[in-house]
Amino acid sequence: MYAGIDIGSLTAKLVVVNQKGKIIAQELMGVLPNPLDSAQELIRRISERNRIKWQEIKYVVSTGYGREKIQEQGWAKENISEISCHGFGAFHLNPKVRTIIDIGGQDSKVIKINKNGELENFVMNDKCAAGTGHFLEVMARVLEVELGELGTISKKSRRPVEISSRCTIYAETEVIHSLQQGTSKVDIAAGINKAMAERVLTLVRRVGAEKEIMITGGVAKNQAVKKELEQALGIKIIYPKIDPQLIGAYGAALFARKRGEKK
Amino acid sequence: MIRLGCDLGSLYSKFVLLKDQELINWKIVPTTGNIAQQIDGFLKELISSAGISFEQIDCISATGMGANLVKEAKAVDTLNSLRQLFKMFSSEVEYMIDLGGQSITCLHLNSKGEIVDFMRNDKCASGSGRFLELMSKKLEIELEEIDQFVQSAKNPIELSNQCGVFAESEVISYINQGVEKSEIIAGVCGSVAKMVSAQAGRLGVEGVYTLIGGGARINSLVEMVKERVRGSYQAFPFNPQLAGAIGSALL
Repeated sequence: MYAGIDIGSLTAKLVVVNQKGKIIAQELMGVLPNPLDSAQELIRRISERNRIKWQEIKYVVSTGYGREKIQEQGWAKENISEISCHGFGAFHLNPKVRTIIDIGGQDSKVIKINKNGELENFVMNDKCAAGTGHFLEVMARVLEVELGELGTISKKSRRPVEISSRCTIYAETEVIHSLQQGTSKVDIAAGINKAMAERVLTLVRRVGAEKEIMITGGVAKNQAVKKELEQALGIKIIYPKIDPQLIGAYGAALFARKRGEKK
Repeated sequence: MIRLGCDLGSLYSKFVLLKDQELINWKIVPTTGNIAQQIDGFLKELISSAGISFEQIDCISATGMGANLVKEAKAVDTLNSLRQLFKMFSSEVEYMIDLGGQSITCLHLNSKGEIVDFMRNDKCASGSGRFLELMSKKLEIELEEIDQFVQSAKNPIELSNQCGVFAESEVISYINQGVEKSEIIAGVCGSVAKMVSAQAGRLGVEGVYTLIGGGARINSLVEMVKERVRGSYQAFPFNPQLAGAIGSALL
């Protein structure tokens, strides 16, 4: 068995694969203040639910923003950047993938990989909340809907509102204003999804997307954002066969398998 | 000559009465959702409490985002209004930095008071009045209390995020860690000063400059900006938050 631990800014993920690279255990939870606590909790959960003994895992790779601490603590033999892990994970799910659009809670990235699944280029936004999951969280709160509902209620929209501000704070004011004017939540949600996709598209254009494209990260679960991206790019975007939030941890586990096999 | 100037900003609306170049009355109110219906009342109050009548006013002008909400007024451009302020200084002022609710604007004027260059950031909330308001609200500090808190700070925190949304999360995590309010707000002001000076630097501010807008009312923020911006500072002769309204009246 091989494992990948991905401690992000908002969620912590753990994936265990077998000799063949098949997922035999997976876990996802909100992060605890300390990345080490998050890792410990993930390990505790899989030992409880999947009866997997941590000592039996041959090789562990950590990734995400807490990756170095995890390795220092000796819980991972190696740490690899989340960008490489995302690329590797997506490539294994579908070897035709050359571009990955990853939209997480606090950042968004567009990653390009070559025909061997190796990192070729990437662009990232972690400076501005626009175009990250945080934008959707703020908007869901203002609309008083669940985050997961944003991408579903908008389907009924006939006239999506236009959100002209790029800045999340100013966009929030715009949304409040629309609500006060009596605009329906459905039309506002549609406008929000569209705005979200537009922010991500600026990143996609900067790196130049190539076929095939896969979408990963928590925001991938919002079908409306995915659809907006597909319309703008004129191409069908692949939705991963596993939870799109687990791709980084999955890629890390696959790296662990590769490294472990050599030894 | 008596003139009335209005500045309907994103956070506050300001009204002034000028007799020649003397400020005879003024009013600052928050810009609420129904400001349009309130304006007439504010104007009447401003005029009557100055002891004059409506007929005595020679001209009314308005600037800011909501300028056209003032029916009686001639709507005037913000930059052009601010430019007029150079008349209010005895000596030469070459640069004006406006710390507004929804934007930071830097103006470069020549000796005739004409605009040579300007730069405005209204796309992103970082460093704006809105940014400061958001953080102080999280800390439950009134805008008027900021100075007091900043003065008692010993080890201000340093915000690593520029984005208002991310900075807000950072502020919350500091609160949860039990860091003193004063250290956090001092760090927030430091962050605003950094963004203001960065923009001033991009416009190449050096020489005599002044700070106007609501942000310039916070003395500790002004001090922090002064430490970072090259050139010599000259204080605006009136409440700096009234600058836009005064400028529009002068136009």
